Order: sequence, then C-alpha cells, then structure tokens
Amino acid sequence: MDAEFINTYLLLVTLTSLLANAIISIYGLFFKPHYTKKVIALTILSDTMNTFAIYLGYRTWVNGVNPRPPVLTSTPTEKSISEFTARAVDPLPQALVLTAVVIGLAVTLFLVFLGYILYTHYKTLDMREIKKLKG
Amino acid sequence: MRRITELVAILSLILGVSVLLVLAASILLPGIEVRQLAFFYLYTTINPWFQNYTVNSPEAVTAIVWDYRGLDTLFETSVFYLALIAGLALARGLFSETPQGSFNEKTHGLTTIVKTVTRVTAPMIIAVGASIGLHGHLTPGGGFQGGATIAVIPLVFIVVYSTLFLIARGVTSNKMLVLRSIGLLGIGFTSIAAFLIGLAIGRFAYVFQNMPKPGAVVGLPADINGALISGTLWFFNLFEMIAVAAGFTIAFIILLLAGRGGSGGR
Repeated sequence: MDAEFINTYLLLVTLTSLLANAIISIYGLFFKPHYTKKVIALTILSDTMNTFAIYLGYRTWVNGVNPRPPVLTSTPTEKSISEFTARAVDPLPQALVLTAVVIGLAVTLFLVFLGYILYTHYKTLDMREIKKLKG
Repeated sequence: MRRITELVAILSLILGVSVLLVLAASILLPGIEVRQLAFFYLYTTINPWFQNYTVNSPEAVTAIVWDYRGLDTLFETSVFYLALIAGLALARGLFSETPQGSFNEKTHGLTTIVKTVTRVTAPMIIAVGASIGLHGHLTPGGGFQGGATIAVIPLVFIVVYSTLFLIARGVTSNKMLVLRSIGLLGIGFTSIAAFLIGLAIGRFAYVFQNMPKPGAVVGLPADINGALISGTLWFFNLFEMIAVAAGFTIAFIILLLAGRGGSGGR
C-alpha cells in the first residue's frame, strides 16, 4: 500500500467519524429529554463543526512531506517564506474557529445560567415535565 | 411502530450521508494548493520585503485574529462580555446570600496533601498561561487560550479550599468585573492607539491600524530592542488574557455559589 492510499483512507475515516458525530449529537439534541444532556449534545455538535471547518483548510501530503502549521519558525528569508507558503495549511479557518469557540462558550455559559433559572422555577430539568407544567 | 419509524429514519439518514460522502470524496479531500486568500495571509504574515502589507508576526492565525480581521475579534470579545452580563442578570436571585464566616484551614476544604500540591502547582499554571498568552504572536496560542488556562486556578482553589478562601483573599465577583473592564478598556485603547498617536503628531492614521500603511505612516513598532512584539498584537493578547481570565473567574464564582443560599436547589 502506498502512502497516498493510506492518507486518503485516513482522511475519509476522519470525515466519516465527524459526520457520525454530528448525526449522533443532533439526535441527542432533539431526542434526549434532559436539559443538561441537550446542552452537552449542542457542545459536541459545535466542536464537530469546528473540527470540520479546520479540516476544510487542510492540505494533502506531497511526496511524503506532511503539511505544517501556519507558524513560521525560522528567520524570514525569501527561501523560508516560499517554502512556508508551499507547505503551511490555511490559517483562516483556524482563526474563524477561534472566534466560533469563544462565542460557543458564551452561549454555553448563558444556557447553563438559563438551566439554573429553569431548575429554580420548575424544580426539574426534564423537558417532558416542563412541557406538561406550562408556565 | 414509532420505534420502527425512528429506526428507519436514522438508518436512511446514515445511508444517505454515506452516499454523500462517497460523492464528496473527490471534492472534500484537501488539495495540494491552499486558497488564494490563504496564500496572501501566509505570504505577508511576516515579510520584510512587503512592508505595506506585513503584520510582522510569524503566527498567521494571531495575525488574522487581531490584525487582518481585528474588528471581528473585537465584537466577539463584546459578545462574550454580554453573555457574561446576561448570566449575571439571570443569576441575580440565586446567590443573594453570600457565605458567612471566615476561612478556617482545619475545617474547610480537602486534605493537607491536596492543598499543598495545589499551592505548588498554582504558580506553575499561571506561568504556563502567561507564556501561552504573551507568546501568542510567536507560537500557537494567544490571549484567549492563556486567559482560559489562568482561569483554572480560581476553579481549583474553589474546589480544594472552598469559596470562603477566595473571598478572604479578595477574589470577589465585583473585583473580577473591574479587572475584566480594565482588560476590555485596554483592548479598546489598543485598537485606537495608532489613531491617537496620529492625532497627537498631526498625521493621518486609521482605527485598528497596526503597521505603517501607504498614506498612513503612523504605526506601532514591530519590535522593542530586538524582541518581536508585532505592534498591537502583544498588547491585544495581554489585555484579552486579563479580560478572559477575570471573566471566567466571575462565571466560576457565580456558578459555584448559586447552588447555595437563594431559593435554588442544593
């Protein structure tokens, strides 16, 4: 087996597991009755999507040389910069994911506080019970 | 019947996705070249021959976060701040009763072994967090990650020593709110630093300007005495680190106080 085949295979396994993760977390988000489990599923879903965004900025291996992170580690000369641009992965999805992680965290924090309010109001976090109580 | 319908729905979802995956394998596999925009970012992130475009930071992600798309990050920080304010507003009735009494080494917290280990590791964690935050323009990391690392310390101290210890040492949510506001003010002032310098010396400069640009020669220095600070990036990382660490500390204090006192559960 050559390296290219293994590489393609592993990338497809990563993609498949990301999609499976997304499906399972959507299932948890809709069908799990407990509020905390819904929040956990939402967190897993957002993390999956962030990983997917980073994956979109990835590069293939060229002749067994793996892509490198978008950090220039040597002195900036013409040669090192051209080598860097030839091998570094896309930094833009990583920057956007950094923003998305912070906003996701803010949303999670808000949901946790909302859960506190729900619990003090209804004395339960089971969504079936809360639906029945109405108001 | 309903179970079978659900099963069929999930199975067809999985099969459909796998068909999509097979079709997408030729499109979604990463190529040899990156996009043109990414090429621009990578080429100009530190490039002494493109002084009008470069950020002088070897870390392309931090360069994008705080320079190329700095306005995004400013508003993202404000979103985090507003979420925290919303959390404080939601939790206002939950911790009406602050814990009374003073901290007692003998009765509060976990055993002496855990306390000693916490005392030894706390400065190390702070050092690692500061290193992640303040080297954000050189190595992977940045203000947010460094601040999140430092915010572990109050959480560990609350668990190991109890909240009373933190309150006795003056770490209250009000003081942390002040610290967080200082961090946010620092971010705000750093974003208009070049503009203010330009105003002072009578030259034209942009808001959120970092390096000198054509037509706006005012800019912050790329290095101080040979140590690279990449203009505004270092200051942004410093203030973001303070703001994030203080913000998380507020969240932890409130979340761990909320269960007691007020009308909430136990």
